[in-house]
Amino acid sequence: MWRYIVKRVLLSIVTLWLLATIVFLMTWALPSDSARLILGAQAPEASVAAFRERVGLNDSVFVQYGRLMKGLITFDFGHSWKYETQKVFDYLRTPLGKTAKLAMVAMIITAPVAIGAGLIAAKFRDRKLDRGIVLVGLAASSIPEFVTGALLAVGLGLKLDLFEPVYSSNADNLSLFGQLRYLMLPALALALAYFGYIARMMRAGTIRALDSDYVRTASMKGLSSSQVMRRHVLRNAAAPTITVMSVQIGYLVSGIIGVELVFNYPGFSRVLLDAAIAGDLPVLQVAVIISALIYMVATLAADLLIAGLNPRARLDLTAA
Amino acid sequence: MTDTGMTDTGAAQAADVLAQSLTERKTARRERWRLLSRRPGFIVGVVIVSFWAFCAIAGDRITPYDPFNDRDSKFCGRPPCPPSGAHWFGTDKIGRDILSRVMMGARDLLLVAPVAAVVAIVTGSILGMVMGYYRGWVDNILSRVVEAFLALPVVMVGILVLTLSRSSSLLKAITFDSRNILIIYVVALLFTPIVARTVRATVLGERDLDYVVSAKLRGESNLFIMTREILPNITGPIVVELTVRIGYSIFTVATLSFLGVGIQRPSPDWGLAISEGRDLLPADQWWPVTFPALAIATLVVAVNLIADSIQAVYER
Repeated sequence: MWRYIVKRVLLSIVTLWLLATIVFLMTWALPSDSARLILGAQAPEASVAAFRERVGLNDSVFVQYGRLMKGLITFDFGHSWKYETQKVFDYLRTPLGKTAKLAMVAMIITAPVAIGAGLIAAKFRDRKLDRGIVLVGLAASSIPEFVTGALLAVGLGLKLDLFEPVYSSNADNLSLFGQLRYLMLPALALALAYFGYIARMMRAGTIRALDSDYVRTASMKGLSSSQVMRRHVLRNAAAPTITVMSVQIGYLVSGIIGVELVFNYPGFSRVLLDAAIAGDLPVLQVAVIISALIYMVATLAADLLIAGLNPRARLDLTAA
Repeated sequence: MTDTGMTDTGAAQAADVLAQSLTERKTARRERWRLLSRRPGFIVGVVIVSFWAFCAIAGDRITPYDPFNDRDSKFCGRPPCPPSGAHWFGTDKIGRDILSRVMMGARDLLLVAPVAAVVAIVTGSILGMVMGYYRGWVDNILSRVVEAFLALPVVMVGILVLTLSRSSSLLKAITFDSRNILIIYVVALLFTPIVARTVRATVLGERDLDYVVSAKLRGESNLFIMTREILPNITGPIVVELTVRIGYSIFTVATLSFLGVGIQRPSPDWGLAISEGRDLLPADQWWPVTFPALAIATLVVAVNLIADSIQAVYER
């Protein structure tokens, strides 16, 4: 197991280095005059040139690349170009926390419901209930999150007045319960997108387990059906579901951008879009790398969890 | 029996085998169509997609008003006007008819998204085949790069690339100065590694099968084996991947347009319309957002119903 963990972590570091390089190359190769963008069209040429010199835009590619790599190791990415008093990391921390809160609420809503729905669908396989769950899951996961969000805002927010259709900064001063009135709709939009993937995986995993020889053996040797469920079916259906859930955390990062914008939620997306439009390259680079890092940590955790649950999975790495 | 007789029968047998496999392929295709046409999900999906495609192609020839210029505010004091007999879906902020705009709103999306998916399928299949067929260090290096790309959230990289590529003579030259073509490149680039991974896995399952080994023993070139031997045998997974990719591509392009970095004004694109109408929500003006949102929802669900049916039939 230790060998597996070490190998897996080392591979992740290589991937992180590669993706940071990809992000660097993209920002470096794409033509955009950040200095001009940040200082504005009226700024005199001299101050634009001074800005370029100050932030290191005149340095060679290798020096700029080295700076980013050093940042990755020391976790000090220097200052934002647009807000020069702000450290990149400090600037990103608050919105990142807000986004994490939203994602967490979404996960808490969706995980039990989706797992339950997947189990029920598998149990009533090919009957009306199953068909219904599969169809709802397909629709929920295929509609972009911002569209679901917009429809929820209109339906549950404006028409039924159950929740606030738009986030407001007042929510920050409320109790957690009071905040839910504001958090609910964006979280639901994300939860719905999640629901489809998780339920579908759970259903498939459960069906595979139910059809297997070991489950038949278990029920023939006289275990009660709840015991069979708990000891054999759930354990085996869990692995693909955990993988999907962790991969979804990565996609959630993508989907959450649209949702935050629909509801005017002051999270990661606003910072990211601002930085992109302003040409604030350090913030942009680090924001993209952090979101990729979240995805990588989530998949790594899932792989380790699965390897812990199922020793066979540890062999995959040597085979691949 | 003479020697020539032997070769004659051999050739005849080979021709027989060939003809047989051709008819088998034809029957398989017909069988798949029969199965597909029996699936209600497939039929519903095709009907909805055809409807939007028809609206997109017909455009302002069939819309009740001019989607771009009709500034109609005589029905209510100040636009946006709520839905009424004259404007079934209401009008937007500057008094343009929403029904007309929704009807035409799929035009850019239905051009950009499928083309991006097709480009990604082509590049991803080439990459995936090379990786799966050659294995070794080529595969090792490319696999790591693919892995790195997969960790990058598609929408984020989309934002990064689409905002940073503002003005450059090179970009203008390769995109013919068209925003839509730039979006196609970006989405195709982001989807290529995903396709490559799928195709690679499929090729890995084929490369040690007898027909590939015998082609190698016959001394066929690697290019021939990849394109003439392996490719025809993996069309199933590639077709499935294509339909799934088109769904994701529509999803991604719509999201990018909503975020303001995709399809640009004055296109009546749905994602764009939602982003333009969303600040009206607190004022209880729901129609500029709701109708384009419903349009996107129906289109993506329809595409996914088709993709799902095709997947079910191919993987039977």
